[in-house]
Amino acid sequence: MAQQKHKILIIDDDNHLRESLAEVLDLEGYATIEAGNAKSGIASAKKHNPDVVIMDIQLPDSSGFQICQELRRHSRDWVLIMMTGRFLSAEEKTQGLSLGADEYLTKPFDIQELSIRIRQLLARRGK
Amino acid sequence: MTEAPKKRGRLFYKFLLIFLIVSLVPLGIVGYYLVNLSQITLNRAISRDQEALAVGFADTVSSYIINFRNVLFDAAHLEDFASMNVAKQQALVSHIMQLHPAFLEISVINADGQETVRLGRFVHDTKMRDLSNDALFTKVMRAGEFVGGLEKYMGSYPAITMGVQIVNPQTNQPVGAVLAKMSLTALSSLLKTGFPEATHTQAAVIDSSGFLIAHSNSKEIYKPDAKLPDDVLNVLLRNDAKTGSGEMILESTGERVLAAFAEVTELGWVVYIQRSVSVAYQASDDMLKRTWRMMLIVTVFVLFLGYAVSLVITQPIQALREAAIKLGEGDFDYLPDLSMPNDEIGELAHTFMQMSESLKVKTAEIMTAKDELERLNRSLENRVEARTRELKSAQDELIKKERLAAIGQMASVVGHEIRNPLAVINNSIYFIKTKNNAVPAPDPKVAKHISIIESEIRQANGIIDEILGFARTRELNPKIMHINSYLEDLTMSFPVPPHVELVKSLAPENPVVSIDPDEMAQAIRNLIKNGIEVMPEHGKVYVRSEVVDPGTVRVDVEDTGPGIPKETLEKIFAPFFTTKARGTGLGLAVVKKVADRHKGRVEVTSVVGQGTCFRIFLPIVQNPPPAPR
Repeated sequence: MAQQKHKILIIDDDNHLRESLAEVLDLEGYATIEAGNAKSGIASAKKHNPDVVIMDIQLPDSSGFQICQELRRHSRDWVLIMMTGRFLSAEEKTQGLSLGADEYLTKPFDIQELSIRIRQLLARRGK
Repeated sequence: MTEAPKKRGRLFYKFLLIFLIVSLVPLGIVGYYLVNLSQITLNRAISRDQEALAVGFADTVSSYIINFRNVLFDAAHLEDFASMNVAKQQALVSHIMQLHPAFLEISVINADGQETVRLGRFVHDTKMRDLSNDALFTKVMRAGEFVGGLEKYMGSYPAITMGVQIVNPQTNQPVGAVLAKMSLTALSSLLKTGFPEATHTQAAVIDSSGFLIAHSNSKEIYKPDAKLPDDVLNVLLRNDAKTGSGEMILESTGERVLAAFAEVTELGWVVYIQRSVSVAYQASDDMLKRTWRMMLIVTVFVLFLGYAVSLVITQPIQALREAAIKLGEGDFDYLPDLSMPNDEIGELAHTFMQMSESLKVKTAEIMTAKDELERLNRSLENRVEARTRELKSAQDELIKKERLAAIGQMASVVGHEIRNPLAVINNSIYFIKTKNNAVPAPDPKVAKHISIIESEIRQANGIIDEILGFARTRELNPKIMHINSYLEDLTMSFPVPPHVELVKSLAPENPVVSIDPDEMAQAIRNLIKNGIEVMPEHGKVYVRSEVVDPGTVRVDVEDTGPGIPKETLEKIFAPFFTTKARGTGLGLAVVKKVADRHKGRVEVTSVVGQGTCFRIFLPIVQNPPPAPR
């Protein structure tokens, strides 16, 4: 299992959330990389080539949609999951999905559910 | 139809007055003029007549006297008489006295002045007198003749003495004289015959000294001191004119008289005639009386005629007035009969009728227009009211929407900001729980507290969900679906506690509706949740669907809880209204909002002690697409 650890990049400006999410995903058996803003997040993704990127929809230097679009341009292989604290309108959801997002998460979320969902998405990509 | 009071207008009296003036004034003027004229004419005529009479009578008097003088003269010139034969003279004188009763006495005197014959009616002393020194005899012998010497013979009869010379026809020498006294009472008789008492005219003859010789009233003449009134005498004796006439007022009696006088030539006497004005003007007075009588008759006649004419003239006017009053009262239908004669007033009446007809039509038009206007006004008012109500409700709606939008915005921010920390706590507690479960003997108390924290996180998240659910303004995402299967799915997944029984009763028609499944689920879940919450011991929740009419399906969620009091019932759909110790008060507000957004409505009925029933009415999709989900 240890050799097959999937890499998850978490981009969020909220340190506590980012760290706690990284910790629980560690517990769930993932390797996590953290980034506090969009710029470092994108750089980190390019550098580490993560299996999954979980990003907040609102970041100080960019919107989640823009990052999503940029990351998807880079690699069609990454699972992209967007997090939000509020309800999304149907248009927003459609927009996000069309830009390449795989899943939406509404905070707070059940870790086990998230874990299961990640596995499903990875399996779909044959990982 | 009320009878107008039969009041005589002022016009009626004006007409009467005018008629009276028009008829009486000319009559009065003519009468006055005629009376005046007649008086003047009478005055002149009578004066002239009287003067003529006076002149005529003066002639008569003169002739009368001269006639007798001539008798004496003729006798004295007879040869028999001049012979101075006493016997012959006596016979002649006697003959004269027999012929002329006016002679009272006649004496024949010879040239020596001795009386030779003396005959007299009242003389019984036949003794011849010596008259040689007698003034009268001397005068006759010198002048040839004499007439004069007026006296009251025997103290009563006015008499005159006249004398003539006895002339010898051969020698033409005076041989003596004849002296005679003659009575003048015959003159009075003459006057009386000329001016009888009935004529109210008095006539008199006086001499230049005022001696009353004759008077038409014979009684006057026999008075011992008979004479005319002083004022009359004054006028007569001082006047130099031969004749004259005029009107004067007698001082003694105050009587107005018309008087005339004429001088008797040779004798120096005056004939005076007077007539009382009242008598003289009898005719004009009669005329005056007749005029007055005429005026009275005319007045009465004019009053009657004027009354009739005024009636004829004013009655149509009165009728017109009544008609005008009726017209003024707006009574067009019962105007009095105005069939009038074919004259100006008739034309006026005709014009009036035309005017009233026109007025009637116009008034009707105006009334119609007024009614129409009132109707329009009312309709306008109603429309304005309705519009105002609409505006008000729209404004209220807008304010509510704005308020809700502001609340929504705030709730969205707050919710989002709280969800982050909740997510962190959730992650952390998951971490702790995982770690705690990993140890060989996990502490049960830690596990319990972890569970408490997890539950509270869920609750907090639920509150945020509720707030955000109410506040969210995302567009409806409706889907065409059968109501029954939707409700089945919804209730199936709902965690119903064991003490509550959920009873479903679904419409056999299974109508198709267009709903946003997420939102509708939230609404119906809120209702079921509420129902469960009010029944902590045990109870039933009924979920029903029923077609109420071809276009509407009703979804009921009913509980058997304690019910809601009426005063509370009205407010339960208001946002933030709650009777629970905990809760946002948004659950039912969301239900209402969802129902409204689906073009439906929500109603509630409740019986305290029996339960509450919420009813959501939704429109049925009439021609659903071929393959609804």
